[in-house]
Amino acid sequence: MERRHHSQSHSQRQQGRNHFSSSSSNQSRSNNRFSFPKSSSSSSSANDVRDRRRETQEEKQEEAIVGTCPFMCPEAERLQRQRLRDLAVFERLHGDPRNSSPALAVKKFCRTMSAKEVRASDVRPLPVLEETLNYLLSLLDSTEHPFEVIHDFVFDRTRSVRQDLIMQNIVNDKAINMFEKIVKFHVISHHKLRSSCSSSSISPLHYLNLEQLTKALTSLYNLYEANWSSKPIHEKEAEFRSFYVLLHLDSNGQPVGESLSLWFRHVPSPIIKSKEMWFARQALRYFQMGNYRRFLSTVAAEASYLQYCIIEPYIDEVRSLALCCIHNCYYKLHPYPLGHLSKVLMMEESDVELFCNAYGLQTCIDELGNKLLPTKQTTFCRPKGGLQNYSFLGFQQLGRQIEL
Amino acid sequence: MAYMSMGEAHRRITDYLNRFSDAVSSQDVASLKQLLSFSSNSPSLLSLADSLNVFQDANRLIKQSDNYSPFADITVPLFRSLQHYRTGNLVDAYLAFEKSANAFIQEFRNWESAWALEALYVIAYEIRVLAERADRELASNGKSPEKLKAAGSFLMKVFGVLALGTVHLCRSVIRSIETARIFDFEEFPKRDKVTYMYYTGRLEVFNENFPAADQKLSYALINCNPRSEANIRSVSAVLIVMILKYLIPVKLSIGILPKDWLLEKYNLVEYSNIVQALRRGDLRLLRHALEEHEDQFLRSGVYLVLEKLELQVYQRLFKKIYIIQKQKDPSKAHQMKLDVIVKALKWLEMDMDVDEVECIVAILIHKNLVKGYFAHKSKVVVLSKQDPFPKLNGKPVNS
Repeated sequence: MERRHHSQSHSQRQQGRNHFSSSSSNQSRSNNRFSFPKSSSSSSSANDVRDRRRETQEEKQEEAIVGTCPFMCPEAERLQRQRLRDLAVFERLHGDPRNSSPALAVKKFCRTMSAKEVRASDVRPLPVLEETLNYLLSLLDSTEHPFEVIHDFVFDRTRSVRQDLIMQNIVNDKAINMFEKIVKFHVISHHKLRSSCSSSSISPLHYLNLEQLTKALTSLYNLYEANWSSKPIHEKEAEFRSFYVLLHLDSNGQPVGESLSLWFRHVPSPIIKSKEMWFARQALRYFQMGNYRRFLSTVAAEASYLQYCIIEPYIDEVRSLALCCIHNCYYKLHPYPLGHLSKVLMMEESDVELFCNAYGLQTCIDELGNKLLPTKQTTFCRPKGGLQNYSFLGFQQLGRQIEL
Repeated sequence: MAYMSMGEAHRRITDYLNRFSDAVSSQDVASLKQLLSFSSNSPSLLSLADSLNVFQDANRLIKQSDNYSPFADITVPLFRSLQHYRTGNLVDAYLAFEKSANAFIQEFRNWESAWALEALYVIAYEIRVLAERADRELASNGKSPEKLKAAGSFLMKVFGVLALGTVHLCRSVIRSIETARIFDFEEFPKRDKVTYMYYTGRLEVFNENFPAADQKLSYALINCNPRSEANIRSVSAVLIVMILKYLIPVKLSIGILPKDWLLEKYNLVEYSNIVQALRRGDLRLLRHALEEHEDQFLRSGVYLVLEKLELQVYQRLFKKIYIIQKQKDPSKAHQMKLDVIVKALKWLEMDMDVDEVECIVAILIHKNLVKGYFAHKSKVVVLSKQDPFPKLNGKPVNS
């Protein structure tokens, strides 16, 4: 239990510290941060340290900027970008690249932000941020533009929303709600961007999206922990925690942050026992073991839509493994029926043939007209380009609720 | 030394102290690093040293200010060290710096995030440089040079702190120190080496580098037995248990099973069923053991390692079936019907359909836990006549 409290103040500190430097530079030296009793024999005792930690939380609340910008975009920025014709397509009034409006312009993400230069009038307060986020997410339904264009805009502007939240040290329920929505956006983009890119190398958009997904997810976990004392478990926390596991199924790849073994140490018990985490752990177990049959069938049966989006890249990896196993370990004189392979790979039979071809394998037909895959072909090789997107039987079972 | 006024000296000292406290409150490690790097001989540090000689009351200044007093334990000895450094008294400079460094570690622990890690590197580096020079001074005065050893102990303390906290950052520290060969590992007291190997070995377990984990934890185990030091035998027993808690999963992963007496002696009951399961090929027992101690295994970070033993248990089960078959009819033993395996699993209350069993067979063959092939039409596993169930031979199951 002691540990949780520590995480709380640690995450608080992380929240506030990352984006603005100490306010002591803004305030005069007399208004110092460490108000200790003025005894001359004060070497930092343990009590002083504890007091300091407790104070830091309150101090942060006092020192955090309180934004006053009433629009989605600060007026000064909008006017400047109008002048410079730096307006995204969604921000243009009647398509005019030189004209926007408060209803269309949204604050851009700006990387270097030293708190000394931030004006309260440039930062949007919570209600405005909520409206901004809802507006941004509503754009995802638009059919007028290709998905990459919409994604790019929402990607950048939500990043600015996150920044405003962190700068103001907003860590309540509403912040959690917003971060959950933003993570959801990144997860769905993770899936959609993958479908749209055809080349083998992961597109830069896809990679950057994954990067922000991870960052937003980490911030979200910090928020859960910060709110631990007021509300131990949030409705969607289990699902969002499970994402971390699903993002790290492949322990042999470069670990991003903590290894899973370490990460699990800090997960609260109720989360571990949740249905969503149970699914993630099963997926991990089957993936690591190489049990392709159970992996694919469990994903089909139990993954939520968002979990599927995250785990999708691994589905291909597991199918590869399955094909490898069957091809290399099965008796040469007993070609494998494609119908059965389709069941094993959870793929439409037509796709199965293409899948095999991608691995340099040829299929054949028996006297009854059934398609078969002869094993131990010498032409077996890893696909040169990437794999195209194949069907996933059982995908239809996944609900397509994308309520953001 | 050019003439410096009292006022000027005072100004430089408060300037440094302000920069120190600002760096900490804004978690600015880049600035903090510069304030600690004696060996850089930067002009600002040199002039600070001069200032301290002119304005001799820095300690009072530090302790009486609310801005500076929180870090008094670090800055007071640091200033002293700097003065000694400037005047060439390296032994005294080292001693004071060590004091400051220890206070720094205390603060570092309280900060709870590793933002100051690079500052800690700098301190580790500086302490070594100072220690070397101090030893040279000692040697030239005919005394025994032991400061470098002391610095090494400090370093072990640093690892201890890091291992308890943000472990995932620890790898870079270890790598940089191991490759830089700052210290000759063998020169240090055994206790420190054992501590170091325990923490780094544990880290390897979390990252599933089993050969490295085995090497380090085994070293710790072998070297922590103080037969000669009777009065701390109980301490070493605790340490042995700590090491074994991580070493056993590692050994299991490379196919080495601990003897029962070891588990009994150190009361490592949580592993007994797992070892049994591996010996008997009993999947049900494995799953049961994992469930029973799930919390404990998750908290200590070995759960995922133990879960992976499942394939080895399958291999053992297949081998048992093979042995039974061989006894019944040696000529047919190398052909195992899938049905037989499914039945055996059903008997173990593992409800698996034929497709899944087929999948497991294929995986075992693919990972070289079983040598042979699978005849899909006749649903028979045809085992190699020679060594159909290869041992792991100290290597983890390959992926």
